[in-house]
Amino acid sequence: MHGKRSRNLSFALALLLSLSLTSAGVAADQEIKIGAAYPLSGAIASTGLDCLHGAELAVDIINGKYPDLNLPLAKSEGLPNLGGAKLKLVVADTKGEPRNGQAEAERLVTQEKVVAMIGAYQSSVTKTASQATERLKIPYVCSDSSSPTLTERGLKYFFRVSPHDAIFARDQLQFLKDLEKAKGQKITTIAALYENTEFGSNVGKQILKLAPEFGYKVVADISYAANATDVTSEVGRLINAKPDVLMHASYITDAILFTKTYKEMGFNPKGIMTFAGYIEPGYLPAVKGDGNYMVVRSTFALDLAKNKPLVAKVNALFKKKYGIDMSENAARSFTAPFVLADAINRAKTTEAEAVVKALLATNIPGDQVIYPWKGIQFDPQSHQNIHARGILVQIQNQNYVTVWPFESAAADVIWPFPAWKTRK
Amino acid sequence: MKKPTVLQAVFYAALLAALLAFPLVVKGTFPTHVMIMVFLFAMMGVAWNILGGYAAMFSFGQAAFFGIGAYTSTILLMNYNVNPWIGLVAGGVLAALMGAAIGIPCSNLRGHYFAIASIAFAEIVRIHFNNWKFVAAAEGLSLPLLPDSLKNFMFHSSKAPYYYIILVFLLLSVLICWYISTNRMGFYLRAIKESHELAKGMGISFVRYRLYAIMISAFLTAMAGTFYAQYILYIDPESVLILPISVQVVLVAMLGGAGTIIGPVIGAAILLPLSEITRVWLGYKGTGVDMMIYGALIMVISAYQPQGVWGYLTSIRRRAK
Repeated sequence: MHGKRSRNLSFALALLLSLSLTSAGVAADQEIKIGAAYPLSGAIASTGLDCLHGAELAVDIINGKYPDLNLPLAKSEGLPNLGGAKLKLVVADTKGEPRNGQAEAERLVTQEKVVAMIGAYQSSVTKTASQATERLKIPYVCSDSSSPTLTERGLKYFFRVSPHDAIFARDQLQFLKDLEKAKGQKITTIAALYENTEFGSNVGKQILKLAPEFGYKVVADISYAANATDVTSEVGRLINAKPDVLMHASYITDAILFTKTYKEMGFNPKGIMTFAGYIEPGYLPAVKGDGNYMVVRSTFALDLAKNKPLVAKVNALFKKKYGIDMSENAARSFTAPFVLADAINRAKTTEAEAVVKALLATNIPGDQVIYPWKGIQFDPQSHQNIHARGILVQIQNQNYVTVWPFESAAADVIWPFPAWKTRK
Repeated sequence: MKKPTVLQAVFYAALLAALLAFPLVVKGTFPTHVMIMVFLFAMMGVAWNILGGYAAMFSFGQAAFFGIGAYTSTILLMNYNVNPWIGLVAGGVLAALMGAAIGIPCSNLRGHYFAIASIAFAEIVRIHFNNWKFVAAAEGLSLPLLPDSLKNFMFHSSKAPYYYIILVFLLLSVLICWYISTNRMGFYLRAIKESHELAKGMGISFVRYRLYAIMISAFLTAMAGTFYAQYILYIDPESVLILPISVQVVLVAMLGGAGTIIGPVIGAAILLPLSEITRVWLGYKGTGVDMMIYGALIMVISAYQPQGVWGYLTSIRRRAK
């Protein structure tokens, strides 16, 4: 106790000189508590833990001194405008249930006294958690939930850094347009295939809405239950519809089942564009070479390092701490703490209204994020990051390779897909 | 039914006073939230008990009634601007009618077969809602935020009103259960539970009484559903219609003591805080230890005291006499 007190005392004394210029709302030795809610037990606990690791690494970088990292607040220790105050994550488990999202957000704010929230991964949990923080007037920065509805609610304290499913759907269609232009491909018809929970049906809705805007005709609109054990009738309908391109929103088990059925029944569109399931760690080991040429939406890939050295540096730190490469989930959750810390630092206080004001003025340049974005700036109405966009990766030789945006690509996209019969 | 002794009366009065004072005395919203969850599941446990405990219809489909209650009041509020209290009654009536509709073909089923049928029913309801555009399918519904008032059944500044409302709901359910168990219907149900043939021989129309039991149980469970919607303010099939909710309701009743009035309340008072507290203490480490402790406790109780906690307590009392 004595040691800590005297250290705090000397720290405070040392700061007295510089403090005359700043009007910090937080004492120098105080920690800034940030609530982080993730599904840490239950069916997707490993995903939740992955997300948490991303956020933890971000807090490490903010609190420590990393002169060679071009990330917000990496070069200084803690938040300079608040006398070097450090962030502390207060972690909570939601079990992936919406009612726990609400309960944990309330507990973190009222009992743990967190000044802001990040997380919750599942959109339904983020929904109730952010509703609770809205009532309690606490800022919430989300960088891991993708339901478009989250930023359509007009909440005052809720901000989203990462792209949502409507952006992802638009990206995929934009990719097709770019492909037509760059490679002289002719694409006219698409088929929408999606599982019927909130995630898939939302993506399906977006595809059906956006495809005509891009001049594509939807020739099949098929939804199915993600736990289906046989999908031959769905694939049969796809074959009959003869789309140029298939767009498929799935979880992992259905992605595997569909891949096998495409091969068995010889479904050969020019390309298959996919969401989520096709990039889960278990997909490739299950389908091996049959997964080749699938195009998947993502926000992050390690080969972005080719055009962005920052990615390699951050991944090296991640690997050192957790022993594995940074996944897409970890990379998504990584950004929210920076956005919050940057806003609190500029606000020079943790007071909610000032932080919200600072969040609205956020302008983090593109070279300070680990994705190929122009940066981070929030729409004043929806509080969605206007620069957020996805990337597309293609499975080539059983590896995920970034193929779009073309300027960030690590390899050329292989298009059209070789027919199943011609594959080795 | 014996009249309670003076000592018992004093005990219950003190308990009630403590419950009434709880949200005023205890600081922080989280303990109040845990108590609200206890009362919510206790209420559903009591409702299940009317079916499973007294009438031996082991329903694993209570989530369907819960969801119908939550969705009915919410849809009425969002689309037709109907007051949630009216929605609550409408949801209850609809759930009771649904209960009757499945009760007629299923009330002849016994034991396991009724349980299987109830799971099937609840899954059909869930899948239907998951694909039903009118109720926003899998996207779920966010309730419009209305100003704080009892009339709106919505309170943003404090959890205490929610606490008192669900406490009243629970007391109401306990009273109904007590009334049934001490009246003709309760005796009939128990006779049916002992032997279908015997009850039939005695001239008891067991289909009719079983239907009554299903309808009452469904109504109360739907009330709990409306409460959930008004409390959490967001519902989707994944949070109000899934099998784990039905299972938790059964667990609450079995753990506390099925076929007793107070058993499900005790079950909920043990199970819910246990799951909430282990989650808060251990869940954030992501090791799953909280779930293991939770599961182990359920196994211990079911292995050593299949009559439930209440059964254990009464057996101690009997031995002491």
